[in-house]
Amino acid sequence: MNPRTLLWLVPCLIVWAVLPFVVPRNIADLLVFTGIYTVAGLGIGLLLGHCGIVNLAQATFYGLGAYASAYCTVMMGLPSIVGFLAGAAISMALAYVIGRPILRLTGYFLALGTLALSAIASALFFEWDWLTGGTLGIGGIPKLDLFGFLLDRPSRYYFFVWIVAFACMAVAHNLIDSRTGLMLRAMRDSSTAAAALSIDLQALRTKVFVVCALFGSLAGSLFAHHASFVSTQSFTVDRSISFLLIPVIGGATSIPGIVVGALFVTFLPELLSKLGDIHQILFGLALVAVVVLMPEGLVGAFAKLRTRFARKGGSHG
Amino acid sequence: MTLSLVLQALFAGVTNGIVYALVGMGLSAIFKGSRVINAMQGEFAVIGAMTTVLLLTKAGWPYAAAIAGGAIAGALVGAFIEVAFVRFMAKKNASEDSFLLLTIGLALSLSASILYFVGRDGHLLPPLGGEGVLIVMDAVIQFHALWLIAIGIGATLALRAFYHRTTIGLSMMAASIDADGAATTGINVARMRTFTFVLGGLLGALGGILVTPLIAVDYQLGLNLTLKGFAAAVLGGLTNPLGAAVGGITLGLVESLAIIGISSSYKDVVAFSVLIVIMILMPQGILGRAGRRGG
Repeated sequence: MNPRTLLWLVPCLIVWAVLPFVVPRNIADLLVFTGIYTVAGLGIGLLLGHCGIVNLAQATFYGLGAYASAYCTVMMGLPSIVGFLAGAAISMALAYVIGRPILRLTGYFLALGTLALSAIASALFFEWDWLTGGTLGIGGIPKLDLFGFLLDRPSRYYFFVWIVAFACMAVAHNLIDSRTGLMLRAMRDSSTAAAALSIDLQALRTKVFVVCALFGSLAGSLFAHHASFVSTQSFTVDRSISFLLIPVIGGATSIPGIVVGALFVTFLPELLSKLGDIHQILFGLALVAVVVLMPEGLVGAFAKLRTRFARKGGSHG
Repeated sequence: MTLSLVLQALFAGVTNGIVYALVGMGLSAIFKGSRVINAMQGEFAVIGAMTTVLLLTKAGWPYAAAIAGGAIAGALVGAFIEVAFVRFMAKKNASEDSFLLLTIGLALSLSASILYFVGRDGHLLPPLGGEGVLIVMDAVIQFHALWLIAIGIGATLALRAFYHRTTIGLSMMAASIDADGAATTGINVARMRTFTFVLGGLLGALGGILVTPLIAVDYQLGLNLTLKGFAAAVLGGLTNPLGAAVGGITLGLVESLAIIGISSSYKDVVAFSVLIVIMILMPQGILGRAGRRGG
C-alpha cells in the first residue's frame, strides 16, 4: 500500500470508528443500513461494472437470506450462524440453477428477465405464508450475540455490519484483481475475442452472478437480525430497483463508489422526507438527474472534476 | 371443470390480453423507433386512466371527451419524455442501460407524483356500453369487455394501416430501419423519434383507460402493466408492434388458464415464468423470424 493511499485511508478509518458514538441513534441506524446496502450493492456492481449485466433480482436473494435467518432462528430455534449459512447456500444454488439458462440472454432481455425473476420471487414470498408469514411476516428475530457480546444497539451492530462489508469489499477487490478479473475485463471489452481465447463466457457470468447472490443473501441475513422483523414488503421489485441504483449512482466499476451509492440510497430519502410527501418525487428526479448528467456515477463525475482541476492547476504552474 | 368455466376463463384471458397487447404495442413501437426499452410504459396507462378519471369526476367533462383527454395526456407525456430526456441522452451516445435506468427513474417519479397529487386510493371508470351483460352458455360477459375487444382490435388494425399507408407511418418505419438512409431522403429522423414516443404514450394511455372499468387504477399499477406489456412485446418479437398484439392475447390466455388450472394467486408467477422461458428458447418471439419484419 503506497503512502498516498494511507494518507486518505487513515482519516477515513478514524471517522468510521468514531462516527457511531457521536451521531444520534437514528443516524447510526441509517449507517447500519448503509453497510447492509453496501454488501448487497457490491454484487450488483460486479455484474454491472465488470460483466455489463443489469441485475434487477437482488431483492430475491436479499429476501432468501432474510427468510432463512428468520426461519432458522425463530421457527427452528437454531443458532444464527445456521441462518446465514442456509441463506447463502440456498441463494447460491438458486443463482446457479437460474443463472445458467438466464445468463444466455443479453442486454435488455437479461435486465427484464431478472426483473421478471424478482416479480416471481416477490409473489412466491407472498403466497408461501407457511414459510414466510406472508404480509404478517416473522417477528422476534434475536439480535446477534458475538461470543457473549450482544449486538443490540445500532452503535454496536454498526461495527459488525461494516466489518462484514469490508470483508465483502476485499473479496470483490480480489476477484477483480485475480485471473477471473482479467477474464472479466477481456469479456467486457470484446466478448468474441475472449471466447476465442477459450474463456467460457457463460460459466464466468454465472460465477459472478453466484457471488452477487451470496452478497445479497448475506445482506438479507444482516437485515433480518437488525430489524428483528421480516415481511414481504421488504423484498418487492421496488427494492430490487433501489439496489440497482446503488452502483448506478455511485459508479459501478469502483468499490468506494458502491459505498457512496449506498449512502445516497439510505440518506437521501431520509433527508428529503423532512420536506413531506413530495420526497419520493424528488428522489425519482434525483435519480433521473444522475443518469442523465453523470453517466459514470458520482465517483466518476468526481474523478472527472478532479482531472479537470488538476489540468487547470498544471497550466498555471 | 365445466365448459362455461372454461369459456369464462378464455373470455377473461382475451380481455386482459388486449390490455397487455395495447401496452406492449406502445412499448414495441417505442423500441422499434428509438431502441429504448421504455420501463415507464405502464405509467402511460396510469396517466391516461387517471386523467380520464379526473376530467370525468372533477372537471365534469362528458365521458367521450374525458377519454380523448386521457389519451392526449398520454401522448403529450410521451412527447415530453422524448424532447426533454431521450433526445439529450441520444446526443451523448448514452448506452442501452442508461436509457433503461432513465425510464426506471421516470417511472418512480411519475408514480410518486400520482401518489402525491391524486392520493393512494384506487379509481374506477364507468364501463363502456353500460352495466349490461351477455350470457353465453352460462358464462357472463360484460358489455364493456366486448367494447374493449372491439376497440383493441380496431387500434391494432389502425396501427397497421398507419405504418403501411400513411406518409408519417412509412417515414417512421424508414427512420427505424435505416436512420442515415432515411435522413438522406429528407426524413427528419429526430422528429420521427418524437412521434414514436407520442404513439407509445397514446397506445399505453388507451390500454389504461380501457382496463380501468375492470381494475381500479392507482399509483402502483404502472410497474405491473409495464412487465406484462414487456412480456407481450417480447412474445411478439419486440420490434414488431403487431406481434405484440398476438403476444398480449397469448399472455392473457396463459394467465387465465393458470387461474383455472392452478390458482389465481399464481397468475403472475406463471405469466413471468412463461416470459423467461420464451426469451431463452425463442429469442425471436413466437412469430419467429416473420416477427422481425417491420410493422
